[in-house]
Amino acid sequence: METKDRKYFHAIQILEDNCTGCTACVKVCPTEAIRVRDRKAQIDQNRCIDCGDCVAACEFHAIVPRSDPLELLNQFKHRVAIISSSYFGQFTEDIPYGVAKQALYELGFDEVAEEAMVTEFMISMIRDYIRANRNKRPILSSNCPAVVRLIQVKYPALLPNLYHQEAPMSILTRSLRERIRQEKGLAENEIGIFLIVPCVAHVTAVHQPEGAYKHLQDGAFSIGMVYGKVREHIKNLQNQPVEIETYPKGLTWALSGVQAELVDCEDIRALSVNGISNVMEILSRVEDHYLDQYDYIVLRSCTNGCVGGCFNVENPFVAMSRIKKMIKEGREHDIDVTELNKLYQEGEFDVAPLAPRPIMELDSDIKAAIRKMKQINEFLTLLPGLNCSACGSPTCYALAEDIVQGKATIDDCVVLLKRHSKEED
Amino acid sequence: MRDCAAARSEPGEYWFTASGSEEAVQQYFSRKPEPDVTLESNIPEKDFNSAGKGSAEVKNLLKRLGVNSEILRRVAVAAYEAEINVAAHSLGGIMISHIHEHMIHVLFKDLGPGIADIEQAMVPGFSTADDLVREFGFGAGLGLPNIQKNSDALHIVSAEGCPTLLEFIIFFG
Repeated sequence: METKDRKYFHAIQILEDNCTGCTACVKVCPTEAIRVRDRKAQIDQNRCIDCGDCVAACEFHAIVPRSDPLELLNQFKHRVAIISSSYFGQFTEDIPYGVAKQALYELGFDEVAEEAMVTEFMISMIRDYIRANRNKRPILSSNCPAVVRLIQVKYPALLPNLYHQEAPMSILTRSLRERIRQEKGLAENEIGIFLIVPCVAHVTAVHQPEGAYKHLQDGAFSIGMVYGKVREHIKNLQNQPVEIETYPKGLTWALSGVQAELVDCEDIRALSVNGISNVMEILSRVEDHYLDQYDYIVLRSCTNGCVGGCFNVENPFVAMSRIKKMIKEGREHDIDVTELNKLYQEGEFDVAPLAPRPIMELDSDIKAAIRKMKQINEFLTLLPGLNCSACGSPTCYALAEDIVQGKATIDDCVVLLKRHSKEED
Repeated sequence: MRDCAAARSEPGEYWFTASGSEEAVQQYFSRKPEPDVTLESNIPEKDFNSAGKGSAEVKNLLKRLGVNSEILRRVAVAAYEAEINVAAHSLGGIMISHIHEHMIHVLFKDLGPGIADIEQAMVPGFSTADDLVREFGFGAGLGLPNIQKNSDALHIVSAEGCPTLLEFIIFFG
């Protein structure tokens, strides 16, 4: 995937030929990044946080999430897959966990690792971080790339509160790359490490990681695409199952509520929030210090956490219930964390301070901003206040702002146009 | 403001000005400059579902003006606490925000029944909140002290049986 020639890489793409200009996407975008102009949707790259809500809202297959093609594997000698925990919630209950995992080898991977392997280690890292940073409350989870980007654009004052350590799949990437390099004697560029991800934000995060000090993954495959390809293999494998290691107790990572429960303990109070509008409401209250009583807040853009991501094929509630069943019925699995601990102590999982990407300011100069605000208010009194989006902007307020910023004109308002034409009759 | 002649006690007045801001506050009230932007919102009595809307609106507007985040938080907290106070203790009222280039002046006018002893109401932990208000998780007696803590100037005019006027000022720089 081309990532270098763009200002900010986004994994969301608009297929103009399919776009009808219906404005369904415009209305759902949490950062008001989409406008319909000349009957086609356009995404403001600076505002987009890759949450994928527009993908779900589009009925015309005009907004598509991009992910990497499986052929990418051919460029590497040793190919590793790291699977997001939500993958295992996608299959009907007659398909065993082990078989769903085993099928991935059939796609050409030499090694298959699970996000679930490091959940326990992750929880202890998070607790460690919370206790070491008592001056910051609450600490905000940083695993959801859409939430991290939302904070960068809309709540930059909260950036220091973000958990500044890599997410589980990136931790695994670092430790696997290190181990494989030593064991196989391969060069860095001969090892391909790929994520199998539940959402478009994770694809963006692979191609444009925020705060990463080191080379992480080489590509991201969508769970939906992988699901389509493993189904045939699963049928065959079900007849000849092999013993394969699985990590059911770690699958909690896909569920925001369960993750919060795990971090919660005697001296740490955790809160779980999912769904982007809930996340925004909570962040606004955190800004005003109304939620300082919490030590840790798990924030996930999608319903129920990663099981709600747009690449999943199963409904987020059904997937959650299946994963909970696997956790309940699964056996404990001891994982050697010596190597992870060593890397952690060496600062290998540190994340650079995240930079703001503010979109809220009308102008960098307060005088000019006030002038624009006055103009916006003047236009607002002229507009009908129906927030119908027919002009292509999400609300009348957004249109007023677009007019003042020179991106639209008052003639874009269909309702006013109709009223004027009636007056002329 | 309604006439206070029927008051059972003398109208009380409370002034607080943060040290260092005295001159700027005095200058503002003597000159009464025209605000650049004005926002107004209603605060219905005991309506805790919509109480907080006005302060959210102000916060959003200041964010768009690029006001520094620490100032933003102080305005949001002071405005929210005052809004809750009006909803919890009065018969309803209005919130008016005057935004200037260097500062914000927010006024709360309610329909009574007034504060009998303002000095006492300023003591942290003192509250006259009824059971309904406490049921909603408010009424800890920290509202007014919290407003003062976050403001550069606070002015309250009230008396038992009278409407209350509360206004605060926060400078941006």
